[in-house]
Amino acid sequence: MKTIIEPFRIKSVEPIRMTTREQREAILQKAGFNLFQVHADDVLIDLLTDSGTGAMSSEQWAGIMRGDESYAGAISFYRFQERIQELTGFEHILPTHQGRASERILFELTGGPGKVIPNNAHFDTTRANAEHSGAVAVDLPIAEASDPACRHPFKGNMNVAALERLIADVGRERIPLVMVTVTNNSGGGQPVSLENLRAVRSVCDRHRLPFFLDACRFAENAYLIKRREPGQAGRPVREIVREIFSLADGATISAKKDGLSNNGGLLLLRDEALLYRASNLLILTEGFVTYGGLAGRDLEAMARGFEEVVEEDYLSYRIRSVEYVGERLGAAGIPIMQPPGGHAIYLDAAALCPHIPREQFPGQAVACGLYRLGGVRTVEIGSVMFGQGAALELVRLAMPRRVYTQSHMDYVVEVCASLYDRRDELRGLRIVHEPPALRHFTARFEEI
Amino acid sequence: MQRRSWAEPFKIKVVEHLRMTTRAERERAVAQAGYNTFLLRSEDVYIDLLTDSGTSAMSDRQWAGMMLGDEAYAGSANFYHLESAVREYYGYKHVIPTHQGRGAEHILSRLCIKAGDLVPGNMYFTTTRTHQELAGGQFVDVIADVAHDPGALHAFKGNVDLEKLARLIEQAGPSRIPYISLHATVNMAGGQPISMANARDVSVLCRRHGIKVFLDATRAVENCYFIKQREPGYADTTLGEILRELCSYTDGCTMSGKKDCLVNIGGFLALNDDDLAEAARNMVVIFEGLHTYGGLAGRDMEAMAIGIRESVQYEHMHARVGQVQYLGEMIEREGVPIVRPIGGHGIFLDALAFLPHMPRDQYPAQALAAALYVDSGVRAMERGAVSAGRDPVTGENHFPKLELVRLTIPRRVYTQAHMDVTAESVVGLHRRRDRIVGLKFTYEPKHLRFFQARFEPFEGSKVLRD
Repeated sequence: MKTIIEPFRIKSVEPIRMTTREQREAILQKAGFNLFQVHADDVLIDLLTDSGTGAMSSEQWAGIMRGDESYAGAISFYRFQERIQELTGFEHILPTHQGRASERILFELTGGPGKVIPNNAHFDTTRANAEHSGAVAVDLPIAEASDPACRHPFKGNMNVAALERLIADVGRERIPLVMVTVTNNSGGGQPVSLENLRAVRSVCDRHRLPFFLDACRFAENAYLIKRREPGQAGRPVREIVREIFSLADGATISAKKDGLSNNGGLLLLRDEALLYRASNLLILTEGFVTYGGLAGRDLEAMARGFEEVVEEDYLSYRIRSVEYVGERLGAAGIPIMQPPGGHAIYLDAAALCPHIPREQFPGQAVACGLYRLGGVRTVEIGSVMFGQGAALELVRLAMPRRVYTQSHMDYVVEVCASLYDRRDELRGLRIVHEPPALRHFTARFEEI
Repeated sequence: MQRRSWAEPFKIKVVEHLRMTTRAERERAVAQAGYNTFLLRSEDVYIDLLTDSGTSAMSDRQWAGMMLGDEAYAGSANFYHLESAVREYYGYKHVIPTHQGRGAEHILSRLCIKAGDLVPGNMYFTTTRTHQELAGGQFVDVIADVAHDPGALHAFKGNVDLEKLARLIEQAGPSRIPYISLHATVNMAGGQPISMANARDVSVLCRRHGIKVFLDATRAVENCYFIKQREPGYADTTLGEILRELCSYTDGCTMSGKKDCLVNIGGFLALNDDDLAEAARNMVVIFEGLHTYGGLAGRDMEAMAIGIRESVQYEHMHARVGQVQYLGEMIEREGVPIVRPIGGHGIFLDALAFLPHMPRDQYPAQALAAALYVDSGVRAMERGAVSAGRDPVTGENHFPKLELVRLTIPRRVYTQAHMDVTAESVVGLHRRRDRIVGLKFTYEPKHLRFFQARFEPFEGSKVLRD
């Protein structure tokens, strides 16, 4: 059988509200051409993010009802802890309200002025938290990552030679840790190979540097390793996941992605001294160590979600459904980041509208165009999000997990194709209001 | 006079099973937990009175709201429901959700406090004070002295001493005081309320000097219930109206929705000042989440919006506070020393009067909480020297005037029979109080030590001798 179907059926639905093009025009104006400012019920298909937007299973909802809301020592915590220990091999697990809280705690403890933190590519909040501590965040992707059309199987890999050079240049004492993001979100949802992770580990060993993972999409990365890396095809995904985590000294995870949950995060650590400091900071800013700022029911949903996400039928459906959209867009001649990543399709906005210069935010123009035309909400990942440091001008169509059907995706493809046909009508944007940090969330624009 | 009974304005829809334990099992469990009730596993606890924070039972409407969660990352419909509920009942202009109350405290402290600042408040609270200190400020207690006397009867023992506050402003100068942190009710004083007149006077004084007033609104609705009961002129005013007036004397609030708002998770920061709100939104996105979800799932914002509406219903609050009074009166009748008058969210045993034979450096409240667990499986919380921690400068133990054990009542969770069991255990323990043994630290964390500290009996191997 060639067709891959969803390994589930639908148990609960959420109606979506249709809007007219005129209504959307008015909504765009009101939102200052920033899709983060659009009310969710004004969106037809919401591909803004795959973070926290997944559909939970009936088993997870059962866990929601079973949540033990005791402030300390809740059974739900112990169930969660055991599940994550088994999945990752880490002994020390701190729950947090979501991924950025794990990042904040990690960087508040290890970052600071003068410190340099290398990553294959920091994502927005990771960069913000590293920089907020006073550290410098350095991206070290491989060269192929900056060519959207190149079909390298592991475009998320870290440039190991560049890492060596950075350590030689700034000195190991200024580098508190080396981080690798799996999969690489800002670079197109591209996976990192096991071989690359092992190479980074050995550089870290040689220089006695701790190695951390930003492991939000570890399961998707592991599945892409199974599919693409020589010698890995016969291994169970769980085993690959265990190996990925075994290479690291710690990890931050947002459970809103591969945890198949609507909120929650984790901080995994091996170093007991760091664990002690992290626990104290956790208690102060998040919550007690056995709930970390989450309801007990959320710990239950996470425990179950981290189990369901490594089921191979689920991963094969997940990766295939993203690929399907990529194939159809590619067939229509629309320039996308190749090959399709694990959680999203990234349109190459610079190639799509070469008439809009980078300082007029081509990605933002495409994202607004998709909304105006079809009520599809996407997100710019380019000069708006990363300023002048942006390597590419991309528009991300992030796929919420288990939420949209093939007919929703066919509609999205049609909207993209229709925009592509009229791409000459797209106009650039200028910023009229800008906050000091993470401007993409709240900035306002106008059309030129 | 015949006691007039109240009944809960609800019936039970879903139950959660409890596990019974033997005394031998509890002795093992408490030793494993280092005689710290925070470190007990909840399945070893029979009646969990550790906290009223996040432990409430939600209503069927709130659960229905959970199913209406709009989990969109930006612009979730649930955010707008929450915003409108806060605006309607609390009256503040800007609403910024946070994952829980301490998320809001973290942001407010970072935004407003600079090194060397003084932050007055009506008694400290653990996480609030730590956030103020980490931001470079220093907490100054301006609560009326009567709050430190557990036996004194006063209708509004949480009130700010206006003279103390005026003196502080005069001595330090208003420029060193970014805001006053006004708690209603005052948790560490035994859940004692402030009066409307006091809130008004604080506001007048502070506004004259350009000092902001931020309310810790965690249990403000409970405070409003006491105003309605005790303050002249409010008997016929609704709780919603009283809450609006109380908030109108302040410039914003931090809120842990896990108390008054009847939810298991969630909080918010509410502000009237446009610029401060803008700065807070820019900060919340780094620490908590985008300002339309603040680190919460959409469903949790919906449950909080519904919980706010339920919390200001008179019948709800009457049953809530009535249950606390019921437990307190039973205990008090038998001569057990408690903080009086009985507060809104719990009964606070006066451990110094309960265990007069025990020196303070053997942490009588910690020992009493451990002994209560061994006796009946009731989990309470120490609120005394262990919670107060050490002076950051001298490293000496703070020995606050109040050395208390808090029996906190979760909202809508336990029945009258559960309260009876609790009272019987406390009363029985009071009769055998000479068998309770003091404790000493075996592990002491630097910040907020009460959460994770470990102890052992000062002598022998048991905290409650047979």
